Amino acid sequence: MTEHTAIIHDIGYRHYEGPRLGRGSAARALTLHSLRGVFGLGRTTRAKIIPFLLVAIMVLPAVVSIAVMALAKQPGIPYYSYAVAMQAVLAIFLASQAPYLVAPDLRYRVLPLYLSRPVTVLDYVGAKLVAMTTALFLLLAVPLTVMYVGELLVDLPGPPRTHDYIASVVSTLLIALLLASIGLALASFTPRRGLGVASVIAFYLFTSAVSGVFYAVLVSTGREAAAGWTMLISPFFLVDSVQVALFGTPPANSGGYPAGPWPALILLAVIALALTALISRYRKAASS
Amino acid sequence: MTILATEGLTKRFPRVTALDQLSITVGTGVTGLVGANGAGKSTLIKILLGLLPATSGRAEVLGMDAATRGPEIRRVVGYMPEHECLPPDLSATEFVVHMAQMSGLPRTAARERAADILRHVGLHEERYRPIGGYSTGMRQRVKLAQALVHDPRLVFLDEPTNGLDPQGRDDMLALIRRVGAEFGISVLVTSHLLGELERVCDHVIVIDGGALLRSSAIGEFTQATQAIAVEVEEGLEPLAARLAELGEAVAVQGRILTVQVRSEGTFDAVRDAVCDLDLHLVRLEQRRGRIEDVFKEPAA
Repeated sequence: MTEHTAIIHDIGYRHYEGPRLGRGSAARALTLHSLRGVFGLGRTTRAKIIPFLLVAIMVLPAVVSIAVMALAKQPGIPYYSYAVAMQAVLAIFLASQAPYLVAPDLRYRVLPLYLSRPVTVLDYVGAKLVAMTTALFLLLAVPLTVMYVGELLVDLPGPPRTHDYIASVVSTLLIALLLASIGLALASFTPRRGLGVASVIAFYLFTSAVSGVFYAVLVSTGREAAAGWTMLISPFFLVDSVQVALFGTPPANSGGYPAGPWPALILLAVIALALTALISRYRKAASS
Repeated sequence: MTILATEGLTKRFPRVTALDQLSITVGTGVTGLVGANGAGKSTLIKILLGLLPATSGRAEVLGMDAATRGPEIRRVVGYMPEHECLPPDLSATEFVVHMAQMSGLPRTAARERAADILRHVGLHEERYRPIGGYSTGMRQRVKLAQALVHDPRLVFLDEPTNGLDPQGRDDMLALIRRVGAEFGISVLVTSHLLGELERVCDHVIVIDGGALLRSSAIGEFTQATQAIAVEVEEGLEPLAARLAELGEAVAVQGRILTVQVRSEGTFDAVRDAVCDLDLHLVRLEQRRGRIEDVFKEPAA
């Protein structure tokens, strides 16, 4: 007698005959995976709340600015000072998301699994840096672009502020790179995510406070030139000073910055320092 | 066919010599790499993956020099580390898909391979849940899956049975056997527990203090010493004395009498002695030589 029963056929192990792409493709996949993760995509709902909230806060002034332009026929918020005005939001975004990118792989020792594959330390660090930089760039460049498109549509009297817009987008790239390198370096030295968040926030508050206090003291004692230098301690004013030097936009602070190539050189030096720290941290982690 | 070979491989750290003039060859199938903790097993694997430069000597994996062709080796080799290496907030599926992509598989292929391999290692519905809630046995399966997901030609398993209970250990060993036999992927598996390797390995390499102690097929290990274990209800001493009189090599180990097999006659001698002394025989079994014994023997 035959009895019909459902059978699951075990087709056995099948070998993979398809393409094996190289390092570049793995690094691109890691970059995309990281970038999505920064905005909470592919993660839990809870992980999406903070990034999306911060994106909304970043875009809000741009929308308001468009409304002002449309209704009052007045130029809205200036492009060149958007980053400095919104610096707290950028800092919170960096503090909340940079540790997510680097801390878990160090804390849970996932890094050896990457390194036992074609991915190298530099590929890994590069992917994380590009992801964080891109995320910060989007966070700032999207509202700027929304505002610019709005300005073109509203068609204010006089020429559009295209020069300001381009200047602000270029400095957005610089600020994204600067913040990403500092944020990832700080977060990579504190593998616990909470500590990473705290250290990035502490860094932001410390640099803001120190530059603010020194500036006020030096201005009140009449040393305006020295006061300009102390502003460069804050990463946001540092990039603003480079923007001023490159594009001649009005400074976001009242007193102005030191002239010449120094702000740009300091910016490059800080980025280089942060990246050196980040890479040496990973070289050490890789060899242990 | 030689899968990997080292020649005079030496690795010195500032304070210790991890590998000392190690020369081994490994063929296809499952090879056990045995040594106490600190014998240099993990260091050897790192050198073979091209992640750590050797102080001197050569290492070749799948015909590629580990010192210069590390990236190529890592494309076709899998690695399961000894330590915990799983992020708790991802599901096994997400994690293994990601790791497949990191090995260079396109996204769709990565998804298919991850589903396949997770089924093979025995993770079913639970693979959609975050890894943080998994048992040790399940974690070890995920670690094995990520090492196999890109269908490597060779896989390094560093202490895969660590921390598992006896059942989990048996399951993992059976899985390793399948990887070598059924999947056709060569395996180099390390352990400091020798007994478990004789169940799954075709070949065993024993290293101690970073140097080769012995390398041979599994059969040779277990043939070297053949003995039978005898257990009787009472009267172990008289039995031992009687057998010793007859010229047999006997040793009392607790309630068990171990008798070295000299010839077929040894079995008859044991049977006759038990009958003559009118003892109740509880157990008479062949005791296989243990790989442990190589540590007691002089190096072959």
